[in-house]
Amino acid sequence: MKNKIILSCLLAIGLSGCTAKFLEITPETNLSSVTFFKTQADFTQAVNACYVPLRTIYNDRSFYLSEMHSDNTYYARNTAFGATEQQEDLADFSIPVSNNLTTNTHVLNQYRQDYLIIARANQILDVIDKADFDATAKADLKGQAQFMRAFAYFELYRYFNRAPIHLTAVPNRAEAAAPVGTADDLAKIIIGDLTGAISGLKSKSAQEPGRATSGAAKTLLANLYMIQKNWAGAEKLCREVVAEGSYSLMPDYNNAFSTSTANKNNAESVFEVQFQEGSNGYNGSFFYNFLPRPMTEVELKTLSGTSNPQPQTGEGNNIPTPDIIAAYEAGDLRKDASIKYITCATTLWEGKTYPVINKYVRPHSLNGNHGMNWPIFRYSEVLLFLAEALNEQGKTAEAATFMNQVRKRAGLAETTASTQAAFRTALMNERRVELAFENKRWHDLARTDTFKEVIAAYGARIKANPFSYYYQKGYTLRSNSFTVIEKYYPLPADEAALNPNIK
Amino acid sequence: MKNNSIVHRIGNQIGGVFLGLFLILSTSLMAQQQAASGKVKGSDGSPIIGASVSVVGTSRGASTDGEGNFKINVSRNETLRITSVGYNSADVVYNGQKSIDVTLTVDNKTLNEIVVVGYGSQNKKEITGAVQTVAYKDLKDLPVTQIGQKLQGQLAGVQINQTTGQPGKGMNIRIRGQLSVSAGSDPLYVVDGFPITGTIGAMNPDEIEDITILKDASSTSLYGSRAANGVVLITTKRAKGTGMTVSFNAYTGVQNVPMKGRVQMMDAEMFAQTKKEFYEDAKQPVPVEFQDPTQYRGKNNDWYDALLNKDAPLSSYNLSISSNKERSRTSLVAGVLQQKGVVRNTDYQRYSLRLNSTYDISDKVTVGFNVAPQMVYDNTPRTDGDRGTGILFNALHTWPIMPIYEADGKTLTMYNKFPASTGNIFAYANWVRSADALINETTTTNLLSNAFIEFEPIKGLKFKSSMNGEILRTKFFFFNPSTATSAINVPIPTTAVSIRQNVENLSWLNENTLTYSKTLWDDHKFELLGGYTNQYFRQESTQVQADTYSDDRLPTIQGAININRGATTSGVQAWTLTSYLARLNYNYKGKYLLNAAIRSDGSSRFGANNRWGTFPSVGAGWVVSDEAFMSDLPAVSFMKLRGSWGIIGNNNLGNYTSYALINNTVNGVFGNTVATGAAVSSLANPNLGWETTQQLDLGLDLNLFNNRINFAYDFYTKNTTNLLYAVQIAQESGFGNFNDNIGEIKFWGHEFSVNTKNTMGKVKWTTNANISFNRNVVVALAPGIDRVYGTFHITKVGQPFGQFYGVIADGVYKNAADLASSPQVPGRSVVGSIKLKDANGNGVIDYGGNNDDRVIMGNPFPDFVYGITNNVTYGNWDFNIIGSGSYGNQLLVRHLYSTANLDLPFNVVVGVKDRFRSEANPGLGMYGTTVGGGNVTGIERDWMNSRFVADASYFTIRNITLGYTFAKPTKVYKSVRVYASCQQAYVFTNYWGGPNPETSAQSNGAGDGGNLSPGVDLSNYPVPRTFTLGANFNF
Repeated sequence: MKNKIILSCLLAIGLSGCTAKFLEITPETNLSSVTFFKTQADFTQAVNACYVPLRTIYNDRSFYLSEMHSDNTYYARNTAFGATEQQEDLADFSIPVSNNLTTNTHVLNQYRQDYLIIARANQILDVIDKADFDATAKADLKGQAQFMRAFAYFELYRYFNRAPIHLTAVPNRAEAAAPVGTADDLAKIIIGDLTGAISGLKSKSAQEPGRATSGAAKTLLANLYMIQKNWAGAEKLCREVVAEGSYSLMPDYNNAFSTSTANKNNAESVFEVQFQEGSNGYNGSFFYNFLPRPMTEVELKTLSGTSNPQPQTGEGNNIPTPDIIAAYEAGDLRKDASIKYITCATTLWEGKTYPVINKYVRPHSLNGNHGMNWPIFRYSEVLLFLAEALNEQGKTAEAATFMNQVRKRAGLAETTASTQAAFRTALMNERRVELAFENKRWHDLARTDTFKEVIAAYGARIKANPFSYYYQKGYTLRSNSFTVIEKYYPLPADEAALNPNIK
Repeated sequence: MKNNSIVHRIGNQIGGVFLGLFLILSTSLMAQQQAASGKVKGSDGSPIIGASVSVVGTSRGASTDGEGNFKINVSRNETLRITSVGYNSADVVYNGQKSIDVTLTVDNKTLNEIVVVGYGSQNKKEITGAVQTVAYKDLKDLPVTQIGQKLQGQLAGVQINQTTGQPGKGMNIRIRGQLSVSAGSDPLYVVDGFPITGTIGAMNPDEIEDITILKDASSTSLYGSRAANGVVLITTKRAKGTGMTVSFNAYTGVQNVPMKGRVQMMDAEMFAQTKKEFYEDAKQPVPVEFQDPTQYRGKNNDWYDALLNKDAPLSSYNLSISSNKERSRTSLVAGVLQQKGVVRNTDYQRYSLRLNSTYDISDKVTVGFNVAPQMVYDNTPRTDGDRGTGILFNALHTWPIMPIYEADGKTLTMYNKFPASTGNIFAYANWVRSADALINETTTTNLLSNAFIEFEPIKGLKFKSSMNGEILRTKFFFFNPSTATSAINVPIPTTAVSIRQNVENLSWLNENTLTYSKTLWDDHKFELLGGYTNQYFRQESTQVQADTYSDDRLPTIQGAININRGATTSGVQAWTLTSYLARLNYNYKGKYLLNAAIRSDGSSRFGANNRWGTFPSVGAGWVVSDEAFMSDLPAVSFMKLRGSWGIIGNNNLGNYTSYALINNTVNGVFGNTVATGAAVSSLANPNLGWETTQQLDLGLDLNLFNNRINFAYDFYTKNTTNLLYAVQIAQESGFGNFNDNIGEIKFWGHEFSVNTKNTMGKVKWTTNANISFNRNVVVALAPGIDRVYGTFHITKVGQPFGQFYGVIADGVYKNAADLASSPQVPGRSVVGSIKLKDANGNGVIDYGGNNDDRVIMGNPFPDFVYGITNNVTYGNWDFNIIGSGSYGNQLLVRHLYSTANLDLPFNVVVGVKDRFRSEANPGLGMYGTTVGGGNVTGIERDWMNSRFVADASYFTIRNITLGYTFAKPTKVYKSVRVYASCQQAYVFTNYWGGPNPETSAQSNGAGDGGNLSPGVDLSNYPVPRTFTLGANFNF
């Protein structure tokens, strides 16, 4: 008996040997960063994840900050519905600003999503040179990571003109908050990354559709040069894109924009945000945000074509203004392709018939879920960049040839503007209608320093006639509307609270 | 469709088995009755019930009935030993007397009571820590279904709130005000020495022998890194006395929701009138539906009331058999509980069995086995939560002009379609239909078991090795047919969704301890304990979510058109813990007491650089009343001073928190092709460790007047540092937070309890009362961070934890002059809109950011909590009343967010009637104008203001019971007690936000009810008032 007991005691102790191993429990349903970042497949997956925040940015944020924050679109006020001031403040140029910071949530989320891209790219760029796999594949993957990082910094550069700088992955709490770089610092990073990306990335003809290409990198860098008024630099890059021969305008303007399933990454597409309809969570839903409300399911079905339309409540956003509608020349084929009208019988606004953005009205299968891609750069913009860069260098006649390619496709005659100044005006209007609702307008107003006068005049027009801007009769603008017309957004207060360098 | 019927069938079968067992056992017992009989009395002449009578040296035994009588089989010259708790035992030699009458004297050393403590038991007198015990026999008459409900109001320093009335759920137990920024705050539950990984909510209370609460560090430190929230030791029933005893307890009752405390919502006519005025004030045409509000007179639709069941039944049956043979002891408890809830379609059933056996294999070796299988079936509609999941919350919001039934008065309406022109911007399903049609069922099967061997090679040296196992399987099935929803703004028909979830937990624990006790030189008593333990836990879960069903009658996976990949998951959670522990108890003459303990824990949850933590404690006590000089004070029967200090930990920090994880579902799309993507989703912290609590406790135990008054007082301070905290970091890093040990919270408090024997004659009246004061203050958070926000809360350095945070409502702008001279919300304030206090004095009202006008406007934690129990017996009658309360705490009335929405998309509280309508008709200043739309009304709705905060002090009569005992044995039974009882008899409170002032949302995340957002009333399942009738049979 005694022996048995001693035996069982020993057994019990034996059971629990190898303590260190017993205490080492690693997650079984997640990989850990220690074991990741080794193979080509690892890096491919990591690069794929860099693109993901673009879906959030373009589905939820960019249009508030770039298009509704301009004279192109406005919101469709629904007085029966509240909690909409975050976007109204952007459209009304009345975001709260205190200590050069803002509490606007869209500004905050845009900022955070850009840094999510930067952080993911940094994880890759920290270690990819040391990884051992096929050099060509590596150059392309590294180029994509550089492109994505440059893209995110470019957004920060345009929106804020300053931002904290992270060029390596953050390992711990202490290094989470970085010093704030100036616009020049940001530009340097963008130029450096894009220079690398241009040499490493595949061209459109060789690249998997939807990924960053050398042409996209050149266009992005050209955009930076346009802002910097480095006209020669922009001209050179745009000419290279044109010369590459991979790009052409789609014969029908309508087809430059994808449907829910087709026409994606077409010949005109330089870079676009990729969505996929379906229940996997890669879909967009911006179409719905761009509808006036309330809208019945019957009305909605005429636009969405889904089998299960649901009535839309709340407040609609990104509704074309009378100003943009007036900006189209007579006979411009782009007008109907860009804007259509919908009558909402139950809306409180007495006008009842609203314009909606037609570029993204594409039938899809399920309510609230569609797969249209969002254009970031189209070839027509490359042509317009080139035209503008040439005109600014005094080569107005040559500039006209490129702008006229765009006008021709729109069914319009060649431009009559022959002086540099007249051409400049014509080109800006051309950009406005060609790229309407593609989140370009605010940035154009800002980089040409015309934003103050244009927006002030626009504000005066709304105040004079709120009904034309979808206000119910008897309602008017809030008293603080059009009081904050600034070239750059203030940095988000929530992030400043966590980064003492942001002052 | 539901497996309900199967469960019922099993229930009936168990019932049948019960009855059979019951009959067999009672007949076999009757055969044992013999002629020798007697009576046991106390020194005051009253009979002693339940005293145990045994024949020394044999296994024969009996216990006394309700009149103190016993019968036993005994031969001449054998000795009878009579024992009863609280009395000195007596030996009587049987010499043929006709009646063996015994008088027992009261044991004034009731403190010799043995108390279960961590890893052993101890004489109560010798304990140096803050330990409180509740013997189950004192609580057995409470016909409630959960252990937590039994303990409410009984324990000083332990706050127990019932946050929801959902059967089997909602008991929130906090010892000494424990809380944490992000780690769990529930105490550690130890069942028969086994720290279980779940809660005790589903355990059958009848299986319990006693419960010990360990509060201070010297009593908890043997549980090391899991001890900081306090420890609840549960000992299950073992065989006692001698021979065999059988008892059967049954009760049945009905539950109702009282009218008192329900939210005062507008009725149909009042609502239509308010709608009418809304349009009139806005100078807009009144929709035809509201032009004549009187048309709704007498046609009110009370959606909340429609969801409630009247007289919901409840019944419970428990059979206990205890058998004590010479070398084996067995105790069996079998229980059945069947409960319908007070909300429609609620069904709760519990079938449980526990078998505890011990065998003395030899004089030196004892082995034991406990096995406790259990099954719980629960179907509760989605009652709790906000707009997404809370049908009760939603019912409050639904327009009372919307019909519940079609014109026939029987058929439930499908969907309430008032046109959008009436401002019906949110769609309402029929909640009654939803409650009936939604399936939300959980079936839990659970097996808890222990096996141990104890070996005593020489006297005083004991080796014990135990193996404990817990298997828990949870099967969850949710089906939302196309005709139902639990969310507002989901039009019917909706997309049918099913969720299936299977979770399997396995936990085992091996413990090996060696104890040696020895008294040296007569007066020096030593007890040494050493131990080594290993525990392992693993959980595997699978979830499948499917939607878009072609037929609601067939909610199979294959019946769905779509599998939701994002919500279809499988997961594994595992942890391990290896520990060494040691304790020394020493006392001199039982007068000077010393205790030292230490545990070292290695945990897989801690970072690689920080895997082991050590938790020491010391305690000392002085029994002053044993000193000679105290003999001059005969009034003092007992007096002990005690103190303890120690360090304990909290390891509730998640299983893989220290690792940098890769999320490999961050997928990209290129063209129409999905490309798997992976991204680092969290930062590693190899230094991550436990939360550390240093606790100091000073206590006094004082018994007066021959122990008629027992008084206890404790003062404690706790300093919790290394708080586990997902420190918010700048998101420019790509991460939202970093898991770190940081910050400090200080807790302190006073606890008083007093037990008195008020009268001891024919009428015995005892009173137990306790009161505790718990306080906390945040000493530090992360460097550079002085605050963390909850949903409507702030946790700020220098302030108590989790305070309500918002702007102070200050009436409405009465007129243009008032508006012009007062701070405004830029662009939003108008005459008649809500006026708020400009707390930061910058001339405008701002909300958001760190320097706005929000201030602390309320505290979810009480000034004090208290409980009082009175027990009176007179002859065969017994009467018991228990009350407990809380004072000074507030609740955030979450539904007011929308039930005072002045745009009137929802039904509103009656108070909105007295809103601002014009300068001439300014109302009561509580609610502003309805004119101006969300831009104006949104301020008082979306900005948390002081109007949302309500005093939630309460005193609840938990239980009133009146019982009568038929003490005279019959052929069938030894004694029977019948009783009538009322639970939750009455709630005294001024709280107006809902029926339950104890409520608070419970969640693990950062949302309402998360650690940082306590005290939010989300209109949870109401706690019913229950009337029961019951009977206890002893055979």
